Amino acid sequence: MNKGSSNHDLSVIGMTKTFGTYKALSDVSFDVFPGEILGLIGPNGSGKSTLLECITGLLPTESGTIMWQGKALSLRKRKQVLWYQPDDILPFVDQRTSTTLSFFQRMHGVKKNDLDHLVDRLELFPILNKPLSALSKGYRRRVLLAIALLSKQPLLMLDEPFDGFDLRQSLAVMELLREYRKDRTMILSIHQLSEAEKICDRFLLLDQGKLLAIGTLDELRIQKDLNADASLEEVFLAIT
Amino acid sequence: MPLPEPPSRYQLAVLILFQEIRSLLVAPALWVMLIIVSLLVGYSFIQAVDLFSQASRTALSFPDMASGMSPLEGIFVPTFGAYYLTQTLLMPFVAIRLIGLDKQNGTLKLLLQLPLSPLTLCGLKITAMGLVWLTSLIPAFSTILLWQYWGGHLSAPEITTLLAGHGLYSLTVISIAMFAATISDSLPTAAMFCLAVTLGSWVIDFAASGQSGILKVLGSVSLTGMLRQFENGLLATNYIISFLSLASLFFLLTVIWLHPGYQLFSKMGKSFITILLLGFVVSSASFTPRYLDVTENRRHSFSPAETRALKKVQKQLTITIHLDPQDSRLLDMENNILAKLRRSLPQLRIEYKQSRQKGLFSASEDDNYGIMEYEYDGQHEQSYSNSKNEILPIIYKLAGLQVVSDSLPTYQGHPHIVNATGSRWWFYIFLPLLFLCAGIYGRKGIW
Repeated sequence: MNKGSSNHDLSVIGMTKTFGTYKALSDVSFDVFPGEILGLIGPNGSGKSTLLECITGLLPTESGTIMWQGKALSLRKRKQVLWYQPDDILPFVDQRTSTTLSFFQRMHGVKKNDLDHLVDRLELFPILNKPLSALSKGYRRRVLLAIALLSKQPLLMLDEPFDGFDLRQSLAVMELLREYRKDRTMILSIHQLSEAEKICDRFLLLDQGKLLAIGTLDELRIQKDLNADASLEEVFLAIT
Repeated sequence: MPLPEPPSRYQLAVLILFQEIRSLLVAPALWVMLIIVSLLVGYSFIQAVDLFSQASRTALSFPDMASGMSPLEGIFVPTFGAYYLTQTLLMPFVAIRLIGLDKQNGTLKLLLQLPLSPLTLCGLKITAMGLVWLTSLIPAFSTILLWQYWGGHLSAPEITTLLAGHGLYSLTVISIAMFAATISDSLPTAAMFCLAVTLGSWVIDFAASGQSGILKVLGSVSLTGMLRQFENGLLATNYIISFLSLASLFFLLTVIWLHPGYQLFSKMGKSFITILLLGFVVSSASFTPRYLDVTENRRHSFSPAETRALKKVQKQLTITIHLDPQDSRLLDMENNILAKLRRSLPQLRIEYKQSRQKGLFSASEDDNYGIMEYEYDGQHEQSYSNSKNEILPIIYKLAGLQVVSDSLPTYQGHPHIVNATGSRWWFYIFLPLLFLCAGIYGRKGIW
């Protein structure tokens, strides 16, 4: 692995995180290439969300370095470089959805037109006057996605972006993510392997805090001597 | 890829401030608190005015009694007592939301990614709470305006000091609530932590009344004890600095512990340094206190001539008191003489001899019981009196001073008879309805 070289956007080097005696991440190192969508794949409890929170700086680590384009990233600098959208949050839960979206739009210095475009694409117009607490799970996920896509940081990390969506909605979200990936690098933590296979360029397989494999689907197939038409699910089962 | 230019810090700060204010305004807890404040303040005010008016009837017939009729003591301290209750018992539940709710629903994870430091973020949150707290003063300002409208006397320095005391008390409670929410995993735990501090402070103050030693010291530095100085119309630098330091301590601890991304030992180290620094500030302030008696009847001060004379007592004066801490003579002496002497004499040492009476009317086991001994520059005097008129001449005699009394106008008091029952509509109906409507309006997310 080419650690810390400047042809990568993000480099994570030797990241270890423990909760008491439990090792949530064990010496995890990987690189993310400019403009790619990297999928974090792993079973529940494998450390995907912990890894994203450690990269963001929302959790302290025992060891590890984060680099951006070859330079070490301080906690303060990370705010300029990356935006992490956690999975199970309800920001400003009692306020109108339009107020919350407008807050993040202005926070990120985004034009009103861009917000309107997102509202249109995610079909949020009917719920704009409702508070987040009154929305269904599907709408909440769409609002969270809108908040994430309003951010301007070059690296966007989304935790379970397809959770709570049906197949048609998932496909629409994928299309939207492809649209917004221009000039941006993305890390998506996904447990639905079928969705991950459709949108991610490369995959990072985590299990019990350990990095088991990283690469494109073809690279992973070769690594495990699988057929060229083996699905990500088959690759995942072979590796774990 | 070039990094994006973030909006200016000022723009970010304004946006977050308004968002925080909105978050508080949509909270039912705020409006419930305001309704209760309105009812409690109204009840306290109407009762206080009624009692003051009854006493005033007698005072107007017997002018000697009028000197005891102070609107601060008779009306506004009891009225603001309702604020003390709500600040102690209800405000923590509103202030805890500032951080507790953001932690609970994950908003904090997004806010911490914005290009603002935890210090700025906490500063904006406490500013938002401060602005919202101002709305809770609507009932208080109503009482002041009503009293003035009815022709009652108001002393601006007294009222300002009273408001300042409650402002500092509220600021401290808000800071404690924010810290409690920061270190707690849930809102109920944070509420329990905060109430433990505020109610614990009240219990210490209550237990310390009439006690001596460490309990007395603890009582005087408890939140309730410090607030009482302002209620009494005494501005003391050590109490102002103690209040501000305590509020700053909990605020800075909130800042230190808010961001989950820093290592535990780093947070503990910073907390330790903060506690040390603020402890140093408080102890420095307690060594060189300055006082300002803002009461109209100057009840915390000797006359200017007496104060000038006492400033000339440069050597150490030792007063040894042979009285039980619960003895009413000592309590009376503490308030009327000793507290003033502490503020006036550069070098004063007071010793309390632990002698006790067997019963209320029985003889003491100690033959010296009831004696006050005075030692100055090798001279010794003693007396059984706890009256200023006897004690001060003893001190002047020991110090070899001649004091010519000032001919000051005596405080005449401000007796005033008012029927306050009409204000019930304002405090019991109109204001609660106003707050209720505002709460419903806010609940719809319209703020």
